[in-house]
Amino acid sequence: MTASASASQEKFRNPAPKFSKSKRMMELRQSGSLQPGVVILLVLFFCIYAGYRSGDFWSALNWQLLAQPLAEAGLVSLGMMFVIATGGIDLSVGSIVGVAAVTAGIAAHHRLPVPAIEASALTAGALCGALNGLLIGVLRLSAILVTLGSMILFSGVALALSEGSSFAGFPDGLLWWNDATLLGIPVEFLLFLATAAAAAVLLRYSLWGHYAIAIGSNRVAASYSGYPVALTLFGVYTLQGLLCGMTGILLVARLASARADMGQGLMLMAIAAVVLGGAPIEGGSASVIATVAGVAAFYIVQDGLLLLDVPPFVQHALTSVLLLVAVAAGVLLRGSRENQR
Amino acid sequence: MPLNSSASARLRLNFHHHETKLAALLLVLGMALAATAPRFFSTVNLALLARSMGVLLIVSAGMLNVVLAGGIDVSAGAILAVVSVVLVRLGNHGLPASIVLPVGLLTGAGLGAVNAALIAELRIPPIVATLGTAGLFRGLLLEWTQGEWESSIPSWLNAIGSPRWGGLDVSVLAAVLVMLAAAWILDRTQMGRALFRFGDSPLAAARTGISVRQPVYFAYISLGLLTAIGAVFYAAQLGAVQGNAANGYELTVIAAVVLGGADILGGRGSLLGTFLGVLLLCSLQQALVLLHVATFWQNIATGAIVLIGVILSSTPRLGRKLILRQSPSP
Repeated sequence: MTASASASQEKFRNPAPKFSKSKRMMELRQSGSLQPGVVILLVLFFCIYAGYRSGDFWSALNWQLLAQPLAEAGLVSLGMMFVIATGGIDLSVGSIVGVAAVTAGIAAHHRLPVPAIEASALTAGALCGALNGLLIGVLRLSAILVTLGSMILFSGVALALSEGSSFAGFPDGLLWWNDATLLGIPVEFLLFLATAAAAAVLLRYSLWGHYAIAIGSNRVAASYSGYPVALTLFGVYTLQGLLCGMTGILLVARLASARADMGQGLMLMAIAAVVLGGAPIEGGSASVIATVAGVAAFYIVQDGLLLLDVPPFVQHALTSVLLLVAVAAGVLLRGSRENQR
Repeated sequence: MPLNSSASARLRLNFHHHETKLAALLLVLGMALAATAPRFFSTVNLALLARSMGVLLIVSAGMLNVVLAGGIDVSAGAILAVVSVVLVRLGNHGLPASIVLPVGLLTGAGLGAVNAALIAELRIPPIVATLGTAGLFRGLLLEWTQGEWESSIPSWLNAIGSPRWGGLDVSVLAAVLVMLAAAWILDRTQMGRALFRFGDSPLAAARTGISVRQPVYFAYISLGLLTAIGAVFYAAQLGAVQGNAANGYELTVIAAVVLGGADILGGRGSLLGTFLGVLLLCSLQQALVLLHVATFWQNIATGAIVLIGVILSSTPRLGRKLILRQSPSP
């Protein structure tokens, strides 16, 4: 089930590795879907160990507290999954989250109703994403360069809009996103799961998802096949902006304040989560389940390390090591890159 | 596609050259400044501008090597922080400069070698590898310092950072030397030429007998070393360091290199362009300070100028180039 949607394309790119043991193993290697398995296994062992060492690890409260930041980073990671699938990257997500949060703050300051606050934040996010999409899709500029520039630009916009101050005093209707639970599960997390399901449908069953993967596999071929490359890329980056807007709203609800630098750190986390899930950074492959596993792995390990009384800065270092180990393992499992070419 | 001009300063008045466009952009900025803030061209301010460019120029020269080799390094800010804390901490323990400086430079080169090993040996894509090491270096550094400030620096370090020669300090001299050395290496040595060829196409370079590892090691270690040199002046000019120092600095460096017209896919770029990119970024920032513009507008202006640079650098390709190379890494 976790087989990546691009298995068919991958077959054309990769000649069969020489020393594969079985056909099934070979397929797994080619699709790179072994890596999420490795990650899930590592995290399961870690969970058992953490549960054994700390009584609080399996408590419901721990998982509730864990689920909320996970949902926020997860939404951005889902967008990043599409972006990386097309062979691009989006460095500006943190700044877009800041713009969206500040926009929500301004809307709340003017005492707009809750739906209007949410709509304004989503629009602000989508507009930022659309600018990226315009430059990358239509003008065909390099994604990493454009989003590097727009990251600086948007963080300036967010700071200018907020004039460097923070907003507070949000209506209860907006804070509902943080407080409400359904069957003990925070609604934030349910929203994330619903979005992930929608993303999986988009990726596997929509033409648009097919186009996105095709562009990432080979942009020239996709263009010669008559695929709408510019429009697809525009959509991918706009969707990323929209998801950043959602994250901005959730962050505002959880922290009950809005600041321009709210999204700091989300960019690296999102890229790391997608890559940890086994998606090649060169594009052409994506899997929602792997991405969710990647982002969950980060937060579960970080939370477990916290409960194990590991010093906070070492936690940061260890999660980075997790990324390096998982990716190195993934590269080894997929065989050498010479085989891939 | 013809190869772009190499590291040598061959400036022809050809508008297809990115450097010419950058120079034109600088000229426009200069004229606008002459009209609105003539104080910008006072000797005092120009000396300040030169001082603010030193560190960025040194680190950017290293980043250019990495970008030429088709890589990217987002751990440069973390390396800068690690080295500056090492320098200041060891210095405050009373060790002499003759021991502390080599240790600092070796630390930088060593951390660069870690990046290179992950990329060349384990074949992790550069952006992922350096993303990981950035978190690793920064986390370990913060654990070491426990987030505390080193608020005093040894006197010899202070002397390095203090202005002399009419407002200029050692960092300007060092930047000039680094640029000259880098120009010589890129243009006149086998390693420099191999860097261009390797970045253009690792496979073709390997077929012509260029090692697939050497250029990677050279690029990342040289960046680590130059970042360490930059860290000396960074700590000296600031007079205090902490574990979170230079957070996001790598993005400014990459922005400068990219503004200078280096192709992020590798193989194309010039030292002259990088210099102009740094000059543009720094003079813009200096000008906004002189014009009493609020800090957040500086970000907007910087972001806009980077985007303009990206658009400028790809205008000749806009019509033709559709090919996006799959993986610039080895």
